[in-house]
Amino acid sequence: MFYFDWAVFWQYLYPPTAFQNPLVRNGFILTVAASVIAQALGVLLGVIAALAKMSKLAPLRGLADLYVWYFRGTPLLVQMSFLYFGLGVTHIYGFPDFHFGIVTVTGAVQAGILALAINEGAYMAEIVRAGIEAIDPGQMEAAKSLGMTYGKAMQRIILPQAAKVIVPPLGNEFNNMMKTTSLMAVISAGELYYAFTQINARIFAPFELFLVASIYYLFLTTVWSLIQSRIEASLGERKGIERAPGMLQRLFAGH
Amino acid sequence: MSTLSKPASVEQIDSTMIVKAHRVNKSFGSLQVLKDVSLEVRKNEVVVIIGPSGSGKSTLLRCINHLEKIDSGHIFVNGRMIGYYERGGKLYEESEGNIARQRADIGMVFQRFNLFPHLTVMENIIEAPVNVRKMSKAQSRSDAEQLLTRVGLYDKRDNYPNQLSGGQQQRVAIARALAMKPSLMLFDEPTSALDPEMIGEVLDVMKELAREITMIVVSHEMGFARAAADRILFIDEGRIIEDTTPDQLFANPREERTRAFLSKILH
Ligand SMILES: Nc1ncnc2c1ncn2[C@@H]1O[C@H](COP(=O)(O)OP(=O)(O)OP(=O)(O)O)[C@@H](O)[C@H]1O
Ligand SMILES: [Mg+2]
Repeated sequence: MFYFDWAVFWQYLYPPTAFQNPLVRNGFILTVAASVIAQALGVLLGVIAALAKMSKLAPLRGLADLYVWYFRGTPLLVQMSFLYFGLGVTHIYGFPDFHFGIVTVTGAVQAGILALAINEGAYMAEIVRAGIEAIDPGQMEAAKSLGMTYGKAMQRIILPQAAKVIVPPLGNEFNNMMKTTSLMAVISAGELYYAFTQINARIFAPFELFLVASIYYLFLTTVWSLIQSRIEASLGERKGIERAPGMLQRLFAGH
Repeated sequence: MSTLSKPASVEQIDSTMIVKAHRVNKSFGSLQVLKDVSLEVRKNEVVVIIGPSGSGKSTLLRCINHLEKIDSGHIFVNGRMIGYYERGGKLYEESEGNIARQRADIGMVFQRFNLFPHLTVMENIIEAPVNVRKMSKAQSRSDAEQLLTRVGLYDKRDNYPNQLSGGQQQRVAIARALAMKPSLMLFDEPTSALDPEMIGEVLDVMKELAREITMIVVSHEMGFARAAADRILFIDEGRIIEDTTPDQLFANPREERTRAFLSKILH
């Protein structure tokens, strides 16, 4: 007969007690940090891939197409294992641990973040490209007629406008990213989900522990939704873009 | 890369010649849009181009600042070949940086204004002086303020384009182009996207400008042509078939096609 262990539940939910456990503490920090870093790198890769996809140079376009094709066409879990375990045995790069003072970034964490970023870049490429293509071609012509090169026009005129188109889907990508970091468990990187599987292996309370884990993720995604609504509202105000959907709509609409 | 023959008459270019186009041909796929177009525009001349829709007016303007490549022929602005350089009797397309530098001296005003919506009026105007010409912000700003006063929009300097009427936007677009101190201004139907009551304010600015700068204007505003144009060209099916003064054209058009077209636009 199952009974709900309130003591375990509260111990791991209530931050002052939960965060005394280094697994939970480091897991939480890693989940947030990996999400932010992987998303930022993913945006960067996405912009590069999008520009490559729209390039006049066929080899560059081909390379970008290959990149997007592979990373959207295979599971992230496979990509991550391939990068960490696969690259490891080839001795091309073994992902050694990095030490920055008291912080140690393990090889698994590096590989995990890298895989998340590269995978995200393939999705961002399409989002960025759609954003750029949404901008009136007259903008590029006006910029060129003022003496700007393609690069300068992109940087000063097109990308800032495309950013406004890109922000809403980017926000949704980040929401997904925070959940997808849990796949790093497959290479034992030690993020939040992995932390709870480890604790569960010790004290066996799967119902309570994974419920707590869910609540942590819900907390993160909900806080992010709030931030995202704010950002979109402030973007919309200045430019007269359609108002972003409200908080409740956003939470329950399931983008 | 383009392999065009050597220019026939480069030596005829003198310092008063702002634009010289020589036997320019341009096709989009199988559609030939410009057919052996030759054109000379001298300093401070104002040339108005008229012609039916699809006759190649916009394409001609866009070739002059190399927004379109040409298939054969030559275009010189201020004595320099636009978009191409010559080596060993062959023409090659210029580097992107050089093309950009050439365009910086040629102002262009578009039918649909094409102001930068994420920048204020002031930012629109100083964007290229600061980031292309590398002028100081302070200098660019004070120049911009003068230009805005001139087009009557000084008090709109901190507004965004979508807070302005069409006529106001087009006046800002003219100020933006002038901020680069161009030696030539190209206008592609600058008033045809405007409500009728706003056309006058834009034409007034252009008439003022016509006294001091070389302009090529695609427009069917015959009042403007009469008041400001030194010459008027009629283009039909990619050829310049009339090149004369406004008075001559209205009094006595040479070609039957011109006559038919004029009776349509003058109604
Ligand atoms: N980028 C392009 N690709 C293919 N065809 C084009 C392109 N630009 C213009 N054309 C075609 O070339 C012809 C001339 O176009 P252009 O815009 O120069 O005409 P126009 O005289 O300016 O006409 P309008 O008065 O309608 O502006 C048209 O038939 C047009 O459809
Ligand atoms: Mg046109």
